[in-house]
Parts: sequence; C-alpha cells; structure tokens
Amino acid sequence: MPKTAASSSPIVEIRDLDFCYGPVQALHAVNLAIPARQVTALIGPSGCGKSTLLRCLNRMNDLIEGARVVRGSIRIHGIDIHAPEVDVIELRKHVGMVFQKSNPFPKSIYENIAYGLRLQGVRDRARLDAVVEQSLRGAALWDEVKDRLHQSALGLSGGQQQRLCIARTIAVEPEIILMDEPCSALDPVATAKIEELIQELRARYSIVIVTHNMQQAARCSDQTAFFYLGRLIEHAPTRDIFTNPANSQTEAYVSGRFG
Amino acid sequence: MPAPDSRPHLLARRRLRFLGLTPDDAIRAFFGGNAVVAVIVLALISYFLVREGAGFFGQNRRNLEVYRLAGLEFVDHLRAQEEGHTALTRRLSELRLQAFDRLSRGGADAEAAERALVGFDAYADRFGVAIDPLRALGSELGDVATAIKTKFVVNEDRKEERRQLSAEGRTAEAERVEVMPIDFAAAVKPLLAARDRHREVNRALAAELTSLLVAAPAPPVPELRESLERFGAEVRAYVSELPAIERRLETWDQSRPVSLGEALRAFLFGRQWLTASFWQDWYGLLPLLTGSLLVAGVALILAVPLGVGAAIYVNQFASTREQRVVKPAIEFISAFPSVVLGFFGIAVLGEFLRQVSHVPWLDWVPGFPFSERLNVLTAGCLLALIAVPTIFTLAEDALNNVPRALPEASLALGASRLQTTLRIVFPAALSGIISAVLLGLGRVIGETMVVLLCAGNRIAIPDFTQGLGVMVEPVHTMTGIIAQEMGEVVRGSIHYRALFMVGLVLFLLSLGINFLAQRILRRYRLAPA
Repeated sequence: MPKTAASSSPIVEIRDLDFCYGPVQALHAVNLAIPARQVTALIGPSGCGKSTLLRCLNRMNDLIEGARVVRGSIRIHGIDIHAPEVDVIELRKHVGMVFQKSNPFPKSIYENIAYGLRLQGVRDRARLDAVVEQSLRGAALWDEVKDRLHQSALGLSGGQQQRLCIARTIAVEPEIILMDEPCSALDPVATAKIEELIQELRARYSIVIVTHNMQQAARCSDQTAFFYLGRLIEHAPTRDIFTNPANSQTEAYVSGRFG
Repeated sequence: MPAPDSRPHLLARRRLRFLGLTPDDAIRAFFGGNAVVAVIVLALISYFLVREGAGFFGQNRRNLEVYRLAGLEFVDHLRAQEEGHTALTRRLSELRLQAFDRLSRGGADAEAAERALVGFDAYADRFGVAIDPLRALGSELGDVATAIKTKFVVNEDRKEERRQLSAEGRTAEAERVEVMPIDFAAAVKPLLAARDRHREVNRALAAELTSLLVAAPAPPVPELRESLERFGAEVRAYVSELPAIERRLETWDQSRPVSLGEALRAFLFGRQWLTASFWQDWYGLLPLLTGSLLVAGVALILAVPLGVGAAIYVNQFASTREQRVVKPAIEFISAFPSVVLGFFGIAVLGEFLRQVSHVPWLDWVPGFPFSERLNVLTAGCLLALIAVPTIFTLAEDALNNVPRALPEASLALGASRLQTTLRIVFPAALSGIISAVLLGLGRVIGETMVVLLCAGNRIAIPDFTQGLGVMVEPVHTMTGIIAQEMGEVVRGSIHYRALFMVGLVLFLLSLGINFLAQRILRRYRLAPA
C-alpha cells in the first residue's frame, strides 16, 4: 500500500547534485530524498539521467573514466558517500545492485550466492549453507534450485538467473538495493515474479528501481521520480504521479504522449 | 490518372556480367578461391613432407643392416666395454683432482701434494694400462669391419655409376664398371675367430682389475675414503659385466634381419645423431627433441609469468594512458627479426649471463657457474622474448572477452579490484589464457634462427643427472639441425630424408599444440550468459 513521502524518514538524501561524464553534464541540480523501506521508481525517457543517478548511489560510476560529481552531495545516513574517508567497498556492501541483464558468475548456483561472503573471508561451511538457503528463499528461488545448488548458474532460465542475482545481492545483507531495469530482458511471467519479489523485499530493504515500464512503476513502487534531460521534474507518491501529476511534462510522459 | 508504369519490377534486371559472373559472384569467387588456395597449400606441404620423409625408414633399415653385416655392431660391443673402462679412468682422475685440492687447501704446497699422491698415481696408471690389450684387439677388429664397410660403399657407388651409364645408353661403359661381389659371411670370419682371444684378454683384464682392488692405495686424504669405496664397487660391477659382453659376442648373429620397426625405433628413440661418420651414421631424434623441449620449456617458464602478468595488469589495472604505451611496446617486440635477437644473444646476452653465473653469491643457482656462453638458458631467454608478445596479446584478448557485466557484478557486491580480477575475471578467461600459452609454445618450438645461433649446437642428450643444471648445457634443436644441415646434404640421401622426418615430427608437434589450443578454447568458452 503506497504511503506518503513524509511518513518515512529518508535514508538517502541527494542535494543539488551535478554530475558529468567528462565535458558532458548528465545531471543538473538534482534534489531527492529516498525514503527507507519503500520502493522508489525512477522513470523517464532514455538518456534522462536516471541510470546515472542510480549508479551514483553505489559509486559504480567510479569505473568510468572522467565521470565525477561536480557539485552537491549524496548522503546515506547523513554521510557524504563521495567524501574521501568513505570506503567504496563498504559502501557497496550496504548498497547492493541488480543489473539490467542478469549476470551470474560462471560458477555453481551455490558459489554465486556464497561469493559475497567469501569475499569477506567467511569460510564456515554451516554459515555459508545457511546464508545460501536463506538468500535463495528470500529471492523465491529455493524451491526451484535446491536440488541443483552445485550445478552451473548458467543453466538457469533468464528469470531464474535474475532472481539468482537478487539472491546474491541480499546475501551480503545490504540496506539499499538498486535495480537497473531488472525486468527489461524478461518475459511477462518472469517479470511478474520479480515484481512480486520486490513487494516482499520492501519490508526489509529500501529499493530504488529504474524502469521504462510505466505499468511496472505504477504497480510496484511507493514513490516515483520523473526525470527529463538530466533534471528531476517531479517527485511524488506514485499514485499522485500517475493520477494527478503536477507538471505538464510528467503528465505527457506518463500518459504516453512522448518518451 | 494512373502512372504510366506502376507495376513493381519483379523481373530480373540486366546486370553487368563478366565471364558469366555478376560482380557479386566474382567477389565471392575471389574470397572462396583464396580459402581453397590455403587449404591446397597446406595439403601439398603435408604431402611433400611425408613423401620426402617416408623413404627414410627403408634407407635407415638398409643402413642398420649394413651396420650388422659388416660387423660394426660386433665391434661396437667391444667398444662399449672399452668405454666403460674409460669412464672409470675418468672417475679416477676426478678423484685425484679432488685430493689435490684438499691437500693444497690443507696447507701443503704443490710439491708436497704431488708427493702425497705418488701411491695413488701409480695405482691409477696401472688401472689405465690394464685395458690396452683389449683396446688393441678392438682397433684391429675395427679395421676389419671398416674395410668391409668401405668395400660395400665403393660397390654401391659403382652400382650407381653403372645404373646412370646404362640409363644414358652407354652400355659398353656400364659393362666395364666392375662390381665386386661381397661375401659378408666370409668377410666377418676374422671377427668371429677373435672371440677366443677376447675371452683370454677379458680374463686377464678381470684378474688385473681384481688384484688392483686388493692392492688399492690408502686414500691420500681421509675425506676420499668413501669415494674410493664407491669406486671399488663400480669396478666390481664392471668386472662382473664382462661375461655378459662375451655372451653378447657369442650370440651375435650377422644374418638377423633388421625390421622396419627397428628402423623406426632407431629414429624415434635413438640417442645419437651422428652423420658423415667414418664408422656408422646414426639418426636418432632424442637429442634434438630434448633440446627443443628444454629450450621451449625455459622460454615458457620465463614468458608465461611475464606475458600473462602484463596482460592482467594492462587489462585490469592500467590507466588508459598506460595501456596506450605498454600494449604497443610489448607488441613491438615481435617486430625484431629473430636473427637480430640471435645476434644480440651471441654478442651480449650469452656473455652477460656467463658473467652473472660467476658472481660468487649466486653459486647456489643450479648449474652456476657455467663456462658455455651459448646454452639452453641463453636461447630460452631470447625465445621467451619472442613468445611474450604472442602470449600477451592473446591473453589480453581473452581477458577482454570476459563480459563486462561479470566484474561489475563482483564490484557491486563489495569486491576489491584485485579480488574481482583473481576470482572472477582470471578464471573466466582461463581457457583463453591457456590456449594463449599453448600458441606461444607452438611459436617457440618452431622458432629456428635464435636456437641455431644461441643454443650451443651440441648434438647430444644433455646430462640430466645434474638436475636443473641441465639448463645451462649447450643443446641442438630440431629446427636448428634442419637449418644447419639441409643445405649440405645430397638430395635423396638418407641424411636428407632424416632431416625431412625431423621436419615432419616438428610439423606434427606444432599441429598437435595448435589443435589442443583450439580445443581448450572451444570447450571452456563461456556459455552466452
């Protein structure tokens, strides 16, 4: 049941964010508060900066040469994540990410889930087993794969692979999960399963999802932010955005007149 | 009002044709033709190699047959006995050297040391001359056998001359060329008759050596006691072997035929490559094969960490600017003509390595210090240089082919750059890296100029008893021997065909390596994720 923005304190606060890829400015003065334990959808036409913003939240943009924050800040629990003393590895443990195209490692299902813990030096077999089961259950995949945990993850179907990636992400127990168009490569049945899963996950995680699919945003998000040409045009509870948008561009976009 | 002709053009349009081909057809024929030419050339080369090489086994069989018929094989049994003794004598002089060394280090001057060794020297001298009667017998019989063989060779030449003359139609002249019939069985009679003398000589030798053992001198320095005892044991073993040699001479059968299998084994497992010898020619692959493999092994040991390490660095850690410098630099190495590298090896690297090996605190390295400038190590270092660009480029490609999504997923889970590289990217690229290494190996095995110039060209199986010290021995290689000897051999001769067989082995080796590389690449290629 969608709640209002005010009912929950923000976990991420974005202030006056300007972001550039080299000489090209991708985000202009974005101000956005993302509430805890809700689903926030970022929508907008291609190239509007929504994916860029998402990738700022766990600093995946660091990998791109010349990409940098020019002005403004992103605070998670009040800490500026671009401050020099912030450890990007710790940040990424707190802010997990699910990608547009499922990308399981060429390892077994079990090892895919255990990977994050192994990175942290966990060797205890019992604990790994417990976390693998718990994460797979959390991603609604356990019943489908419990008999083939040690087979290659590449043998799963596309939808299963994507749920595996979600399980892999929640195995390291992040607070925030970023999803970059997680269903764009899936068929409607698999998409429905992922959306269902998102509804379950929002009880425990704060989720930010980028989507091109307006119905998806309407179905499974609490908040929606509409971006256009690198600017945040409107941010409001999802129901308001889709039924009563304040901005005419938003209305034009959600009603399918452009984009 | 309708257009004058609004029907769609479905009928074939007239196109430009040349020899009945449209331009499209012509282009396709051109590319297809190139592919066909490549396949045909490969088939022709293989056929040529096999055809020229195949005659070798027949010729080598004849070669071995003559070895037996002329009694060279018989005499070689005697010679083996002589060589056994020579090895023991050499052992004695080594012991003397050690004793002398100890004595002078113990404070004795040269004269005093010589005096202390008088008893030992007398012993060594007696030991040395004990073989003389056998040696005399061996040389006498050797002359007999060589004479038989020479006669055979002359006869063969005359037969050839005769054949040529009759082929030219000069029958009268051909008739005049005299071919002496050789009765091998009669010719080796003197050899067989000498067996009784050999037995007597052996008995005397055994008696002399045994009595020498009893009269062995006290070790000139106490440290040598153990070595002398070991020497005594070796002598006893040698003496007990003598009856076996007599039996071998007894059962030697001149008329035993040489099978093709024997000729094949003599090539594949032959331990000697000896050509244009007055005694007997041997065409054994082993010295060349071990030489090639040793050099290639050293090259890979050096080139794999360098090439793969550089590839990982450039692909995973280097900034764009570093990449722009390092990649062309490494690839540029392959622009050196290998003869220039070989020249560099002779002029600079060989001498440099030799001097390094003489640095006192490096003498723990196996084989150090060494005196041969040109050896496995020198050639291996340069070959490594040749293999690095191949391995680097292909390994870098393999790393590059790992989908970007994989390292991204790993990083997003809180992995460091290094963890991501070692746990995700490297394993995912492993098959490609292995095949890169194999292709590097193929490149190195086939390389000729560097090994010809820098490997030392000593045709012998290197001495593996020194362990890793084998790395600084001079060797000869399969490629090197072909390059060196092919220019001098008579077309169609056994030597010529033997070189072709070596070439064939080389070809099969490279083919096998390449095939394996492709298999690995295909089997472990990532399923499209």
